[in-house]
Amino acid sequence: MKVTGADTVQPLAVEGLSVHYGGVCAVSSIGFTVEPGQSVGIIGANGAGKTSTLKALMGLVPRSGGRIRLGDHDLTRVKARDMVRHGIGYVPEGRHVFPGLSVEKNLLLGAYSRAWDKETHRQLDEVYALFPVLKEMRERLAGALSGGQQQMLAIGRALMTRPRLLVLDEPSMGLSPKLVGNILDVLLKLREEGLSLLLVEQNAKLTFGVTSHCIVMENGEVAMSGTSAALSHDPRVREVYLGL
Amino acid sequence: MQDTLQTLVGGLSLGAVYALVAMGFSLVYRTMGLVNFAHADIAMIGAYTASTFYLTSELPFAVAMVVAIVITGAIGLVIERVLRPLENKDFDLMLIGTIGFGIVLQALAVIIWGTTGRAVPSPLHSAPLDVLGIRVRTYDLLVMAVAALAVVGLAFFLSRTKRGAAMQAVAMDHEAATAVGIDVGRSNALAFAIGAGLAALAGGLVGPMLYVDASLGGALGIKGFAAAMLGGFGSIHGAVVGGIAIGVLDSYAAGHFQGYSVLVTFLVFTAAIMIRPTGIFGERTVSRA
Amino acid sequence: MKSRLAATGVLVLAAWALPYGLGSYTVHVVNIALIYALLALGMGLAMGVSGQINLAQVAFFGVGAYAVAILTTHYGHGFWLSALLAVLATVVTGLFVGVPALRMQSHYLGIVTLGLALGFINWITNAHLTGGADGISGIPVPTLPGVDLSSEYLYYYLEVVVFALALLFGLFVVHTSLGRRLRAMRDDALAAGAMGAEIPFLRMTAFLLASLYGGLAGVLYSGLIRYVAPETFSIGNMFILLAMVIIGGRRSLVGCVVGAVGLTMVREWLSDFSTYAQLGYGVVVVAMVVFAPTGLAGVPARLRTLYARRRAQQPSRAELRPFTPYTVEERSGPDGVLLSVEGVTQQFRGLRALDEVTLAVHRGEIRGVVGPNGSGKTTLFNVISGFYRATAGTVRFADADTTAARPYTLSLTGLARTFQNLRLFGQLTVRENILVALDRTRAHTIWQYALWQPGVLARERRLRARADDILERYGLVDFAEADPSSLPYGIQRRIEIARAMAARPRLLLLDEPAAGLNGEEVQQLIRIVRSIRDSGTTVILIEHNMGLVMSLCEKVTVLSSGKVIAEGTPQEVVSTPEVIEAYLGDSDPAELGLDTPRSAARPEHAQEATP
Repeated sequence: MKVTGADTVQPLAVEGLSVHYGGVCAVSSIGFTVEPGQSVGIIGANGAGKTSTLKALMGLVPRSGGRIRLGDHDLTRVKARDMVRHGIGYVPEGRHVFPGLSVEKNLLLGAYSRAWDKETHRQLDEVYALFPVLKEMRERLAGALSGGQQQMLAIGRALMTRPRLLVLDEPSMGLSPKLVGNILDVLLKLREEGLSLLLVEQNAKLTFGVTSHCIVMENGEVAMSGTSAALSHDPRVREVYLGL
Repeated sequence: MQDTLQTLVGGLSLGAVYALVAMGFSLVYRTMGLVNFAHADIAMIGAYTASTFYLTSELPFAVAMVVAIVITGAIGLVIERVLRPLENKDFDLMLIGTIGFGIVLQALAVIIWGTTGRAVPSPLHSAPLDVLGIRVRTYDLLVMAVAALAVVGLAFFLSRTKRGAAMQAVAMDHEAATAVGIDVGRSNALAFAIGAGLAALAGGLVGPMLYVDASLGGALGIKGFAAAMLGGFGSIHGAVVGGIAIGVLDSYAAGHFQGYSVLVTFLVFTAAIMIRPTGIFGERTVSRA
Repeated sequence: MKSRLAATGVLVLAAWALPYGLGSYTVHVVNIALIYALLALGMGLAMGVSGQINLAQVAFFGVGAYAVAILTTHYGHGFWLSALLAVLATVVTGLFVGVPALRMQSHYLGIVTLGLALGFINWITNAHLTGGADGISGIPVPTLPGVDLSSEYLYYYLEVVVFALALLFGLFVVHTSLGRRLRAMRDDALAAGAMGAEIPFLRMTAFLLASLYGGLAGVLYSGLIRYVAPETFSIGNMFILLAMVIIGGRRSLVGCVVGAVGLTMVREWLSDFSTYAQLGYGVVVVAMVVFAPTGLAGVPARLRTLYARRRAQQPSRAELRPFTPYTVEERSGPDGVLLSVEGVTQQFRGLRALDEVTLAVHRGEIRGVVGPNGSGKTTLFNVISGFYRATAGTVRFADADTTAARPYTLSLTGLARTFQNLRLFGQLTVRENILVALDRTRAHTIWQYALWQPGVLARERRLRARADDILERYGLVDFAEADPSSLPYGIQRRIEIARAMAARPRLLLLDEPAAGLNGEEVQQLIRIVRSIRDSGTTVILIEHNMGLVMSLCEKVTVLSSGKVIAEGTPQEVVSTPEVIEAYLGDSDPAELGLDTPRSAARPEHAQEATP
């Protein structure tokens, strides 16, 4: 089974990405690369600039500098709404499903940029196979789902865009440990299927469990980076982010 | 009994017009989260343009209506474009911005059409029908039929089409909508244009029922708003039910309180809305701490 | 201070000298402008300061003017008696129009007030008493011994005095206790209620102020023009009044005045092209809303920030200082139950968010409430703090049944809370945020505003001194004048706790206080919460961070699907099978802090932890 569109493979390269809000610098000159099939994590405390980095990458907040490239394509000037056409699916922070629409409509809107045809429904079935609970709830309003179900719906909706790279902003936010475990399982499964992941998290443990490389952000800058295995043994990371 | 029924029938046709105003209003509210206070004045412009093309250019009534709808739709696009920087930012400011547009449209109407109003003859010349002793004007039936068609069309568009679903999605979460590839600006513009078109439809239809002048918007608009609130803000069914309720209340008040009908209508409306602030079909918004 | 005094002096002189340089027509225009300025002040107080969208201001104006006209011409009362009664009548009308504000806000309120204004216009246009469309003429000239008020020059002085007093009173209200609470209500009515602001009362106060100013304007208008007719009080004029307030700047009273005076002047100059003038207003309103949302009054501040940004950005030296612990209170009095929740059920449509929840919290306890998302934790807080009224069951706080109590009543009896998604008052400074919560004066002391202003000022000084203490204690002095939304998340969390503690509550509810904090910040939080408890405040906290719960709470209540599934010490709870099943899932228990029972709080540890 394969729910993703991970057929053509190209690396995502971000260089010198900066974000300013008013006069305040939220992100200053961040750079990283996500190789095809690779999973990269960004961890850091709240206010470190993680979400701003993702939003700037997606074009949802204005960038004050930087370049974004996907293989040979320059995505720097691509509008936020066109990022899906380049195979980048986005799961926003705090879930952000469409609360007044049914679960199925939410998923179908993931395929907004394509015609809703047989292929779309086949893909819908694949998402339901990945998240059986969504199938049970398909006629329910998304706003009536629990937090964990909404997170699954948000991921399912992003998968419906047929991404080659899935960008997730704090999928563990506000979820109980058990549900965080479920999310972890799903992400591992997607990774096995060859989907590239870019995961922003506060939950360092979850991130190290999913990703091969990580960036630690502090005050809008890259404080550390390296393989997840190495970082998870770094004493400072262990103290500050794992609470050990 | 006869009188009551006669009042009811009179109220229904006016109610259908209020329902159309309320629907356009609700659509824009539901898709953009914006209360468009210029809506009423768009309806007034619609009434003027429809009557101008019908009377002066002697186009058939239906064609004049279509022209009016297209023109006001374009006005809607302009308003949306100007206020776009405020979208999803400050609700109250947008509201006040639309009031500003209302002032502009009224002034434009006076500049173009002057201060004296005009009476529009009914496009249907057949004699009123007599049903069980109640006189029903054929034009009233036409108004109700057109309104019913508009309701069905709009409901179909929102619930069955991709673009309709996308429009609602934009209203619920514009950022998530952008991330799945929806063009938020275009979706909002379309919503605004449809809303304006509905206003023009209401304005054009009400022309032969009321006197058309620059203040038409005021009366039509505030009652249309009241209808939308009474039915439940943002609900299409609510707009219909609220519109009919206000129409019937209005025609009853006009029959019994003559000159004070507006006062009575709004006192009753205030009392009703105090009892149920979210209206009949309104979503109960639980205040979340 | 000196420059301000000098500026006031210059203004007074200018106001006194103004008529000498003007022709009689211009003085008339100035008189009209002052009346609109009064109306705009009322609008600004209701809309800009209190956030109540009041589109009936023109009706208040009309009630004042018509009441004078009717009382003098029909009943033959003297002008001043009629004026007094007219202002009273307007205030009564204002309170009536304000009643819907108790049930609805924002655009809903706008439409209802606009509808009522339309009803009023309909009445004056048709009623016999009001002279119908012709209006009422022949209102007598107000008499003042030794002054001939039929001269517009002299009438100007009457108006200027009334206006100056009204402006001063307005500024006084805005910058002291009452206005601060009104502004807090505008920014976040729920949070303001939880801080003890009596919301229904404040909303009515906003309408009272709006109608008071409207009534005064009406009285002055009828004395000046001595003729009233419906077209002066039309919806069109209502919108122009609105334009004045927006263009001037609705949140600044001075801005409202500038807008009103400016637009009245422009309107007079363009009176030959009134339609084009109207077009102009509309365009200006739209342009203002898009390009200068804070109105003319906000322009200086915008220029300042622009200028500040131009200059080299100086790194700010502001820093969050350490928390100074409270002095430990020897626990006196009984250790009895402070809060008891008995069989509480909360039903929302089809969803049962709380299902017969029962729990009791003793004085001096730190209680943890944990549970999966959607298990009803925040709903429980909302029921306890009065935001929701339980469908069934009772809540008792401090030996009284508080099931049906409003948030502000609970706040005044010693309950405080924080919110999961920070609810600071965004347009107030950090200091003002604290002051709102500190201010325990009850609504009925508002009479002081009318009769004993020095009392208000004295209280204000006392409050400010206490606010400084709190800012000091929580290490927030550097941010006292900052806009809270510009501060980092961790600092905002700290401010919320400081604000909740400002009133020295008996019970503090913390809703996910550690959400979004980093390791170091969590350690600080633990110290703060322990010190709060040691100072005699009982604490209940909702948390996902199990490490925090394990080390801080003596007793934990676990909710799942709205039911209490376990209660006991942290160690007992995490080993309960139901809890493992519902909450912890297959997580490795070793990672939840289970292997570190020594970190679990005992009272003696709690005191060690506070240096």
